[in-house]
Amino acid sequence: MLKVRDLNVYYGGIHAIRGVDIDVQKGNIVTIIGSNGAGKSSLLNSISGIVKYQGFIEFEGKPLPTQAHNVVKSGICQVPEGRIIFANLTVQENLKMGAYLRNDKKATEADFERVYELFPRLKEREKQIAGTLSGGEQQMLAMGRGLMSSPELILLDEPSLGLAPLLINTIFEIIKEIKAMGKTILLVEQNAFKALSVADEAYVLEQGVITASGKASDLIKDPKIQEAYLGKK
Amino acid sequence: MSVFIQQFINGLSIGSIYALMAVGYSLVYSILNFSNFAHGGVIMLGAYFGLYAVTLIGGMPFLGALIIAALLAGLVAVVLEKIAYRPLRKRNAPGLYFIISAMGASIFLENLVIVTIGPTFRTYPQMISREPFTFGSISISRIDVLMFVIAAISLVLLVFIIEKTKVGLAIRACSYSAKGSNLMGVNVNRIIFVIFLLGGMLAGVAGMLFGMKYTVYPQIGVITNKSFVAAVFGGLGSLPGAVIGSILLGLIETFGAGYIASNYRDLIAFSLLIVVLVIKPSGIMGKITEDKA
Repeated sequence: MLKVRDLNVYYGGIHAIRGVDIDVQKGNIVTIIGSNGAGKSSLLNSISGIVKYQGFIEFEGKPLPTQAHNVVKSGICQVPEGRIIFANLTVQENLKMGAYLRNDKKATEADFERVYELFPRLKEREKQIAGTLSGGEQQMLAMGRGLMSSPELILLDEPSLGLAPLLINTIFEIIKEIKAMGKTILLVEQNAFKALSVADEAYVLEQGVITASGKASDLIKDPKIQEAYLGKK
Repeated sequence: MSVFIQQFINGLSIGSIYALMAVGYSLVYSILNFSNFAHGGVIMLGAYFGLYAVTLIGGMPFLGALIIAALLAGLVAVVLEKIAYRPLRKRNAPGLYFIISAMGASIFLENLVIVTIGPTFRTYPQMISREPFTFGSISISRIDVLMFVIAAISLVLLVFIIEKTKVGLAIRACSYSAKGSNLMGVNVNRIIFVIFLLGGMLAGVAGMLFGMKYTVYPQIGVITNKSFVAAVFGGLGSLPGAVIGSILLGLIETFGAGYIASNYRDLIAFSLLIVVLVIKPSGIMGKITEDKA
């Protein structure tokens, strides 16, 4: 579904992503794990078109547009790190922003219902200003907003960041439910254990280079990965 | 008492014109985070566009001229954005560069008018009867009423666009985070086009009304300094703030001029700016970012 070939990103003199290749199969959860500053967000932002890159990205057999709004139009939506919900708008307006490019009124209405089913808390707080939500609720809103664009592929950037352990479990349950809805997910996480437990495929990104890849169930057993990312010796 | 009421209505009228100008500042500031000092130039051109629409096209009704002034001023604002600001945005230039570019554009427009049309003062032909409305001992000039009514209608339309339409929602979203809006599929350049168009059109309306009440000359844009004070007073970036700040400034000015002395008018306006900046720099309704995460 998504093919990334020889991706390179430069920030001034810094070579942040160095020739990365990634494949995402339809219906899978693919995770990219790695430490802070490994280039995980840069990778997602390249796909989303908000970071300039060199290389080739193909989505559903066609070259992916490079302008951010056209990327969304082709069916890829990012739930960004730090959520970036619109704190000045209501919960409902935030979700409407997710559906910004859509003109299919009926299907959009149905998606509103689906998002509210997935996140009942958002329904309760429909008219509330989003900035007053708790961190966990904001993460739910960011995910719901992403789903409102009815994407084929969802890019999730650090959904567990800054959340309490119980909430992290909830968020990962929801990630599984989103997969069950038939969506494909590219998940970037520092919480490697959680990410590997839900994912089908995984890549390890270190200083802009893919150093390991394979089935998530294999990587989680790999002693090197266990030592570096899962805190086992 | 009748003096009070009369001053009050004068204040509302001038305040509503300030509001038309101030929302232009606030719209641009809310998304691009800089003060568009070229706005005064657009207002000045609006006054000329209206003047020529009335004098060059025979039998042009007032409303027709107003629409022409609004559309042409909107066009100028959009072109200005393309020439003076978009290249800076592409290069992620710091905010200061935008302000310098805006000042340059403002000086350019003023001098363009001086060399092409000339520096002389011009007046609109009489379109509105000079006969005031009188209620007992109160007399209100028709142009003041007209200014207030047109300004109010324009502002209501603007609020409708911002609060009730899809593009308005995107404008509000962009004012919080352009990056976030971009990730939702918003073409941010198009939203910036829309805010310059809206701000420019309101500037055209304000310029023409102001020119009708007083005179038209190349430095007329200086009046926007006052509306800028009003926008800061109300809270830069906030539309309700801009309107409330403008009405208050209009009232304070006219009452100051009426009860103290009319040459204190500007002194009062700028003293107010200083006081606001010292006590509450974010203005009455300045952007409060309430983000817990």
